[in-house]
Amino acid sequence: MPETLEIKRLDQRPMTESLLSKNKVKFLGLGSDEIIKYFFSGSAWTAIIVLALITFSLFREGAGFFPQHHDSLKLYRLAGLEFVDYFRDQMTAQASLSRYLNELKLNKTLKLQAAGKGEAEIESLLAPLEQLRLDFDQAGLEGQALLDEMTSMAAGIKDRYTISEENRISRKQLIDAGMKEEADLLEIEDIDFAKEAENLKTTFLPKQKEVSATMAAKMKSLLAATKVENTIYEAEVNRFKATVSKYITGFDSVQMKMQDWTHDKPVPFYESITKFITGTKWVTQSFWQDWYGIVPLFIGSLTVSIVALIVAVPLGVGAAIYINQVASIQEQNFVKPFIEFVAVIPSVVLGFFGIAVLGEGIRVFTQWDMMAWVPGFPIAERLNIITAGLLLALMAVPSIFTFSEDALNNVPKAYKEASFSLGANRLQTISRIMVPASLSGIISAILLGFGRVIGETMVVLLVAGNRLEIPDFSAGLMVIFQPVHTMTGLVAQEIPEVVKGSLQYRALFVLAIALFLISLLINYVAQIFVRKYKISVG
Amino acid sequence: MQNKSNNPFLKVSTPAKRQETAFFWLFRIATYIIIAAAGYIFFDIAYKGVGVIFQLKAPFVNVPFLTEWPETLDIFKLPANQDMKMEVSQYARMTYENPKVNFVEKGTLEMVIFKSPEGVMKKVLPEQKEAFDADPISHGWSVLSERAVMQVFQLKEVSEIKIGNTLYRSLVDDNEGVPPLEHKTQVYAAGGIYPAIVGTVLLVVGSMIIALTLGVLCATYLSEYSRSGPIINFIRLSIMNLAGVPSIVFGMWGYAMFVLLFGWNVSLMAGWFTLAFMVLPIVITGSEESLRAVPQGFREGSLALGASKWQTIYKNVLPYALPGILTSSIMGIARIAGETAAIMFTASFVVRDELPWQVKHAGEFFFNGVMALPYHIFVVSARVPQNVYTEKSSMARHSSSWSSF
Repeated sequence: MPETLEIKRLDQRPMTESLLSKNKVKFLGLGSDEIIKYFFSGSAWTAIIVLALITFSLFREGAGFFPQHHDSLKLYRLAGLEFVDYFRDQMTAQASLSRYLNELKLNKTLKLQAAGKGEAEIESLLAPLEQLRLDFDQAGLEGQALLDEMTSMAAGIKDRYTISEENRISRKQLIDAGMKEEADLLEIEDIDFAKEAENLKTTFLPKQKEVSATMAAKMKSLLAATKVENTIYEAEVNRFKATVSKYITGFDSVQMKMQDWTHDKPVPFYESITKFITGTKWVTQSFWQDWYGIVPLFIGSLTVSIVALIVAVPLGVGAAIYINQVASIQEQNFVKPFIEFVAVIPSVVLGFFGIAVLGEGIRVFTQWDMMAWVPGFPIAERLNIITAGLLLALMAVPSIFTFSEDALNNVPKAYKEASFSLGANRLQTISRIMVPASLSGIISAILLGFGRVIGETMVVLLVAGNRLEIPDFSAGLMVIFQPVHTMTGLVAQEIPEVVKGSLQYRALFVLAIALFLISLLINYVAQIFVRKYKISVG
Repeated sequence: MQNKSNNPFLKVSTPAKRQETAFFWLFRIATYIIIAAAGYIFFDIAYKGVGVIFQLKAPFVNVPFLTEWPETLDIFKLPANQDMKMEVSQYARMTYENPKVNFVEKGTLEMVIFKSPEGVMKKVLPEQKEAFDADPISHGWSVLSERAVMQVFQLKEVSEIKIGNTLYRSLVDDNEGVPPLEHKTQVYAAGGIYPAIVGTVLLVVGSMIIALTLGVLCATYLSEYSRSGPIINFIRLSIMNLAGVPSIVFGMWGYAMFVLLFGWNVSLMAGWFTLAFMVLPIVITGSEESLRAVPQGFREGSLALGASKWQTIYKNVLPYALPGILTSSIMGIARIAGETAAIMFTASFVVRDELPWQVKHAGEFFFNGVMALPYHIFVVSARVPQNVYTEKSSMARHSSSWSSF
């Protein structure tokens, strides 16, 4: 009979399937519910595991950088590259002085042209200047030739050492592989650095002394012979003369340095770290010496981020206050999803927009006649700090807006009502009550926006101009029209072309570690702000 | 009638009120600057791109752009009043792509196509067939087609023609002795973005499966099982920190771990895992929110009826949270679809000639890189700063991020 069957099933069901049955299947002493619970709790650890794995792999690849960097610095001294670079600095300074003269001439030509002077007249007016530049270059020719000689000798020592080291390694590999004959065929040259250094010094020190002396003499007579009284460039040339006199007196200290140089002066290990942190040059894959200094990259990242925040903070916070306190419901319903939508514009699309539209737009803007009064306009570079900064501002705005709006929302309603009941108007309530009460949240919103901006890659890679130099801050505010390179952009640019395990590869991982730590730090500080200064209702 | 100044409801302009209005206008302007800037970018890209994706003739969508491989564009001029020949289908394609050029059709011509063992093709007129066959050059060649129909055409005046590289090469091959004039090329300016779309879809699907599995498990634990304590706080802290890690660091990690340490090379798998872990915090946060939105009474009712914890979650919590979880994961999809830095050394190739599934072994599907839209945009905009195509691909990218909404 069907009815009894139904009844039987009903009273059997809870017994067999779930309820309180003591004789459940157990595995390792755990019931099925407990197993499920541990399974879930295990997956909750994913975030921690991933963070640990990121830390581990980045450090695993990056940790080797400092010993390798130390070796590279040691070789720089041992092979005498350092010795040559003392003299190179002297010659570079001469070249930059010559460049100054060139720029001066160009500048004056443009000015004269603007004043409506003819070509022949300009030439005759600037002839002494041009003569000075030619003679000044002439004075440096001998030094340049000597420098080339020194460079090739030192580079030769370095190359021989590198080759012999490579051979040593491959010989060891061959012996390990049991191929004794092939291993014996490899010649390994033992470089006697002491002898080479002695050779370098005895060959070039007297020559350098002689060349420097003639250079100084030539320059002195040149300066004395140049008469620029009552010309339009008198002030500049006089300044140039003063600089050159100072430059000449520096020759002695260069000689002293070269005299005192020894190849076996130990390179302390901390230098591999300090040279990385304070180095101002990032030069890779050079035949001479690779330099890994984070300063230009860090400054690049920082300037771009600061420009972005200067634009994004007023906009984001202002919009959050407007939407939270002032706007009508309809306006809120339109603006909030719109700004959230801005957050998901892919960064590469923004970068592309920067290249195709914004960069050109800014340059055209600076070329307008009505903007000509601004010093430094029109700008030369289409891709620069401001282009990248403006686009990054657009990326930072959504996070700043959303988190600030949340913070304003979290202010207890009673605060606002109390303020109104005391007769304050809306602006007073906002500026005296709402914003101070949510300040910690707004600050953490700004920090999170900063974190987003400093870690952004594609926009800066495409738009920041990628020039590996510290921007010239003497230009004042105009510095924002100079191209820079950033930490993120450099990593993305160089990773595809590095050899695994090379010094450059490891340097890029150290950069990634720096980025990782910066982002963790920013997050941590933001959370401290939220937690510590959270207003408690009570 | 009351005196105006005595009306208590009349708006009176005081300095404080004027200040208030001024400040509110500042805030309003800030809001609308954001909207205008973002709106301008949308408008600019849509305006320039819509002409590429859509067209006025049927089928109203630019099918070749969505179904072909990226190609070099050849721009050249052809002499006027000169007989040229081209295969009929190719000729149709050329006239379709150059609607403004004045082509004059001179009838059709049948030719014999020879094919060498190496795959080189050669078209010969029927009367030359015997001669070519006897030629020692054609040793080992076979006849591929006896009657290939060629279109013979002329140009009314010298005009500029733009076609993709494949068409251009066959045009040059078929018309020996008629050299094109003023030949220029533009990299990636012809063809379409089909493989990039396919690659992006694969990357999104695979990494979302991984991220949703892990993310929902983690969120379920956090919202259903966990009680607040130091360990849970630590887990939450790590999730928040993971959300703040820059995508390039994820890329470096994926490169160091999946590509090099695990030896997966630049591959779909490496990209899946890198992207999945990158998007995990978004998925966890979204899923937890939707799990918490399920009323507590649902759980209590189920438990009161004697269901176990797992049965409660499985039958009475997850089904109601699922729509919310999926909605919130759209945010993650949008993030993955547009991500470049994390895939540029882990998953994406500049060019790949086959589709990801055109492989000999199943393993190759997983351990080969793919083309992806965001990386394609990067390659195009980094190499050729301004050409037609950058606008095209950017539009496609954008329509894909629209479609993910």
